Amino acid sequence: MLRYVTRRLVMLLGIVFVISVGSFYLIHLLPGDPAVVILGTGATPANKAALFKQLGLDKPIYLQYFTWIGNVIRGNMGTSFISQSSVAATIRAALPIDLEIIVLSQLLAFVAAIPMAMRSARKPDGPLDRVLGASSFTLLSVPPFIIIVLLVLFVSIKLGIPHTGPSSYVTFASDPIGNLESLALPAFTLAIGSFVVYYRVLRSDLIATLQEEFITMARSKGISQRRIMWRHAFRPSSVALLGAASVNIGGLLASGFVVQYLLAIPGLGYTLISAINTSDFLLVQGIVLTVSVGVVLINFIFDFVINIVDPRISRE
Amino acid sequence: MSNVANEFSLLEETLLIEKPEKTEPLGILFWICVGWIGVNVLAAILANVLPMKNPLFEDYNAINVGPGLHHLFGTDDLGRDIFSRVVFGSRVSIAVGVGAMVIGFGVGAPLGMLAAYKRGRFDTVLTTFMYVLLAFPAIIATIAVLSFWTPRALLKIIVVIGLASVPLVYRVIRTATLNVATKDYIIAAKVQGATDRRILIKELLPNIAPIGVSFLLIGIATVITLEGALAFLGLSVNPPTPSWGNMINEARTVLAQNPWLVIFPSLALCLFLLCLNFIGDRLRTHFDVTEVKL
Amino acid sequence: MSESEKLLVVKDLATTFATAGGLVPAVGGVSFDLERNETLGIVGESGSGKTVLSRTIMGLQPRANVTVTGSARVNGFEVVGASEKEKRQIWGTEVAMVFQDPMTSLNPVMRIGKQIDEALRVRMGMNRAAARARAIELLELVGIPSPAQRYDAYPGQLSGGMRQRVVIATALACSPKLLMADEPTTGLDVTIQAQILNLLDELKDRLKMSVILVTHDLGVVATRTSRIVVMYAGRIVETGSTREVFYHHRMPYTRALLESSPKVSNHPHTRLATIPGRPPNLLKLAQGCSFAPRCAYATDRCHQERPELQPAAEPGHSFACWNPLPTTRGVAAP
Repeated sequence: MLRYVTRRLVMLLGIVFVISVGSFYLIHLLPGDPAVVILGTGATPANKAALFKQLGLDKPIYLQYFTWIGNVIRGNMGTSFISQSSVAATIRAALPIDLEIIVLSQLLAFVAAIPMAMRSARKPDGPLDRVLGASSFTLLSVPPFIIIVLLVLFVSIKLGIPHTGPSSYVTFASDPIGNLESLALPAFTLAIGSFVVYYRVLRSDLIATLQEEFITMARSKGISQRRIMWRHAFRPSSVALLGAASVNIGGLLASGFVVQYLLAIPGLGYTLISAINTSDFLLVQGIVLTVSVGVVLINFIFDFVINIVDPRISRE
Repeated sequence: MSNVANEFSLLEETLLIEKPEKTEPLGILFWICVGWIGVNVLAAILANVLPMKNPLFEDYNAINVGPGLHHLFGTDDLGRDIFSRVVFGSRVSIAVGVGAMVIGFGVGAPLGMLAAYKRGRFDTVLTTFMYVLLAFPAIIATIAVLSFWTPRALLKIIVVIGLASVPLVYRVIRTATLNVATKDYIIAAKVQGATDRRILIKELLPNIAPIGVSFLLIGIATVITLEGALAFLGLSVNPPTPSWGNMINEARTVLAQNPWLVIFPSLALCLFLLCLNFIGDRLRTHFDVTEVKL
Repeated sequence: MSESEKLLVVKDLATTFATAGGLVPAVGGVSFDLERNETLGIVGESGSGKTVLSRTIMGLQPRANVTVTGSARVNGFEVVGASEKEKRQIWGTEVAMVFQDPMTSLNPVMRIGKQIDEALRVRMGMNRAAARARAIELLELVGIPSPAQRYDAYPGQLSGGMRQRVVIATALACSPKLLMADEPTTGLDVTIQAQILNLLDELKDRLKMSVILVTHDLGVVATRTSRIVVMYAGRIVETGSTREVFYHHRMPYTRALLESSPKVSNHPHTRLATIPGRPPNLLKLAQGCSFAPRCAYATDRCHQERPELQPAAEPGHSFACWNPLPTTRGVAAP
């Protein structure tokens, strides 16, 4: 176990390094003068001079990287030449919104997917399983940006439910109820996409697990169906579920970007799109780096959890 | 079906009866989906010669008109015909979906097959490299590159998404090839002195083709979804060129006045994706391919 | 002894699977009974329906596409037709099963102690500490060294023989009156096999249980059972006391089975006899004796009419055959 974790940790560091290099060289991979790209609409001579100083553009490129990564590790991602505000501070303000949406959506998705998958797996090809199977397969083909637009169309426009439409976001600190209301549709949108995947993965794994001999053995102890499902079938079946959730994180962030963009919720996604539209390179770079490292870290944590859930994996 | 399979596992060992050949018929729904995809692709190719309104023509006398005889799906807020925009819009989605997968499979599939067949250091190095790339969230990387690689043209989008899909294709094809390459008849062919090229093309390729095709279809659907999301965020082809994603993006500002504007491209996109997914899924169960996770 | 006092009474028990290929009569009308504190052997080749029979007696058959008729009464409880909920009342406490393959019958992601004390906590209402103490006791009973440490092990950390001991401990948790052992040693090394069988034997006397030993290996049942049921194609073809079946069998199949199992008394390099042909396809059973196609003594009658069980010389011994082997009674047993 310890060896396994160490190996994964080394790999994690390697990946984070590659991501940081990728984010840093992004600017050099693209055609054009880096200074002009970075400064975008704010390419004044004064700014150019400041940029040279901030990034050390006169030095060799690997030194530039070390200067940059050193600053990033200390929490300094530079100051935007467009908005004149600290990139790190902007990200720190936006990130909690993404996390809130994702956590809410995952709670919804798991709470719905687990019991439904269990009911389906109990009678595969039964009426409930067929209905859930067909509807989840259909939902698999509905992208989140369509779900959110349709939800806004029907819930906030046709039904006129307040605090759900665009630009109705309020912070949790100022109005907790209003905050949850404004994030209801985003969370629900992300939850649908996750639910479909989790339900399908868990269902098929549960069906396979329920055919195992140790389930028959558990039955022969005279314990209830419910207990067999939760104690014996769920845990060995949840490895694929956790794997799916782990893979899903990147998609969730992207879906989060889409809903924030539509509803003008000032999370990372909305900030990213605004930054792209104003050619605010440093902010884009900062967000890309943060999000990528975040995804990799979350995947690492999931990996660890999967090992605890199924001790067979790290022994192999 | 799964219930029956359950009994068989018990029966096989205890009763020694032969398991009947499992043939999952493709079904009528499969062919309907194939037909729908065919119609869409044909319409996209022939859009210029079909008797349709100009998708870019702005008719200020017919703004936000509902569906009717003159404008089948109605018009948008600039008076453009939604039906012809939906048809022309499919071109972007199909081109990106197919183009990106051509790149993804063109690079990823041969590498995956070779790695699984050769094994050894070549495999180790390449696989480690691909897994590192795979850990990098592809969606974020795509957004990052496209956001500053301006102006955004169709070809750039295809290349970026295509390259981003390489590690995924590599992994699927490598796993599929590994399963086949260790089979006895492949080893037998090697022992008999068949050339590598012959084994790869004559023995391995036909065996992994079903997995490849079903993954290809599901991959196209995934890429189209991604392109739709990029277009929705304004990061795909520039307006006024219609695409399903940017039509939905444009529609969001006039959602209350003209819901048709969002409903038709959404419907077109979802149906197209549904058919692709369905065909891919059916092919997979038909060829009895074990679950390959996307 | 009256019927009601018997621990197990099986009458005309039949299990039919509905498969894509048609109806499969896995068990085709079986009757026998079992006294308290007795060990019964059920013997047959793979495919003879012995595993399905043992699961049907417990009511553990798969839940879909199966029809069970007849009767199986475990300590007065009718298993056939009982709901899963009703059967739970007897599972573990009246009848428990030792499964065939300890590699698959233990939950791989659950600590073995938890698997043993689960039944204690759920069925006997013990608290955590009491259940743990009892589980450790059980581990010790089945001969697992340093049981307190093993309590927290996962099945993957134990050898096959140790795992099978855990399976036995789990089955014994609620002190069942009847223990079904379905090929309990098939997956194990030969040296471990004897240990496990001796353990079952010893536990049977200590805990005053009855044991049904299901196996394909006559050597396994020879010294450990008082009676034997020989099965072929889902039916009983011969049954009687172990001694009678071994030395005075009348059914050619029983003899074939005996000749095909190794004996210690054989000279080195003795060639084992094999039974010609294959076990029958249950989807296409002939109307006559199922063994007829492979039987050296088969006549036209054997191919057309199915023989019923008929009593042999000794009470309790019966066989199903039109052309039984000549009786060897009166001849001195070897």
